[in-house]
Amino acid sequence: MSKDVTQDPETDSEKLISTDVSTDDADGDVPDESQVRTVIESQDLDVFYGDTQALQSIDLEIPARQVTAMIGPSGCGKSTFLRCINRMNDLIDIARVEGELLFEGKNVYDDDVDPVALRRRIGMVFQHPNPFPKSIYDNVAYGLKIQDKTENLDQKVEQALKRAALWDEVKDRLDESALDLSGGQQQRLCIARAIAVDPEVILMDEPASALDPIATSQIEDLIEELAEEFTVVIVTHNMQQAARISDKTAVFLTGGELVEFGNTNEIFENPESERVEDYITGKFG
Amino acid sequence: MPRESYQDKLDDLREDVLYMSEVVLERLRLGLDALEQKDEALAQEVIEGDHEVNQMYLELEQDCIDLLALQQPVASDLRFIAASFKIITDLERIADLATNLGDYSLEAEEDVFPEVDIQTVADVTIEMVEAAMDGYANQDAETCYQISETDDEVDALCERASEAVVRDLIEREVTDEATEEEVERLMGDVSRLLLTIRDLERVGDHAVNIAARTLYMVENDADLIY
Repeated sequence: MSKDVTQDPETDSEKLISTDVSTDDADGDVPDESQVRTVIESQDLDVFYGDTQALQSIDLEIPARQVTAMIGPSGCGKSTFLRCINRMNDLIDIARVEGELLFEGKNVYDDDVDPVALRRRIGMVFQHPNPFPKSIYDNVAYGLKIQDKTENLDQKVEQALKRAALWDEVKDRLDESALDLSGGQQQRLCIARAIAVDPEVILMDEPASALDPIATSQIEDLIEELAEEFTVVIVTHNMQQAARISDKTAVFLTGGELVEFGNTNEIFENPESERVEDYITGKFG
Repeated sequence: MPRESYQDKLDDLREDVLYMSEVVLERLRLGLDALEQKDEALAQEVIEGDHEVNQMYLELEQDCIDLLALQQPVASDLRFIAASFKIITDLERIADLATNLGDYSLEAEEDVFPEVDIQTVADVTIEMVEAAMDGYANQDAETCYQISETDDEVDALCERASEAVVRDLIEREVTDEATEEEVERLMGDVSRLLLTIRDLERVGDHAVNIAARTLYMVENDADLIY
């Protein structure tokens, strides 16, 4: 998929999609529903890969500074939706998007939106840790250097590593290769790299599926902490993980249909949809 | 169907809870028979049988804990296990109350107030427990509400019975010739009668608890809980 970008990404798109992101809720508690602000909203969103429809008319509102989990069987479209949010699907030639996906009220698929600038505001963490073959320090500093935000660089790197709950483990070996870290540490480094540039949203695609239980629990704790400052959207195959860490859960089922979206406790205790009930209790899927 | 072993375990739990309820109801009937007939052997059977119910309770409690820890149930499965976990506690308490009836029958001397209709109260409360377990077995929400209404009738019956005992006691003339031993015996019998009424009323309360948890299980509705 290609988009013509005629504006300067550093100025116009930033200006076009920039709004105040401050909220009152920074204490980690789930705020009153009436005070929750929607950051991302899809309206009648369809996605096609060639002739195959991957998502069908998705309407979904993702709240600020909460963890929203996307669950569903393989091929249900949950990762496709995640990748629409920061236009990662642009990298797939046969992908086609219809409908709207609003970030802070601005359709990210408008012609005047630069996907690179968009991805600075909506960071992403992938299933397998993918640190650069550089030092721990340089991994975290990379995005900042690219954006020419090198003032107080040491401080910013330290801050990002602390926010990613990795600082204590690496502070004495920042010059060592990131590839020498364990899998769990590498994943937290990738999270530190993502948050170093101070995004508003962090997308996570199966961030703990390649990790052992201890590393997984560290990542889960971290996700809950991150939601105090960032909006987190996570795709997971692990339903218990979704239940443990998310405030909202979206259940996608085969055919790219969003069948139910709601508070996580309600989805896992008393889903409205019989199909969701059957899926989460393991009666099909 | 996927997770067949898990589904089998859920089915086993349901059947085991229903079996426990049959045992408990049988104990309750025996306890009442022992009280009515002043049958010492029957009373001993009820009292000694309580150990079996306690054992059953512990095993089912462990089954529930295992299912929660190992299967991470959600949605209707979670509500079913959570409800079962609570219901077995109520069943175990009903068995304790049946044991009380056995104890009273061993201690009772005579029918002090034959006009107090214990049997009617007992019949209604037993029917309540039976209906509550039917509601659990058949996942029937309507039955749950009916049991809650019946409990109001039981409470009224018990209140009237207790009042009748107290009024009769006040009006009863204890003659000067009555020995202290006779007075103590009368007091013991009156106390036991009042305790029997109270225990049967509590059986009704446990039936309501079972119905309340069943309603939560079936419809995620906590309306009857408290």
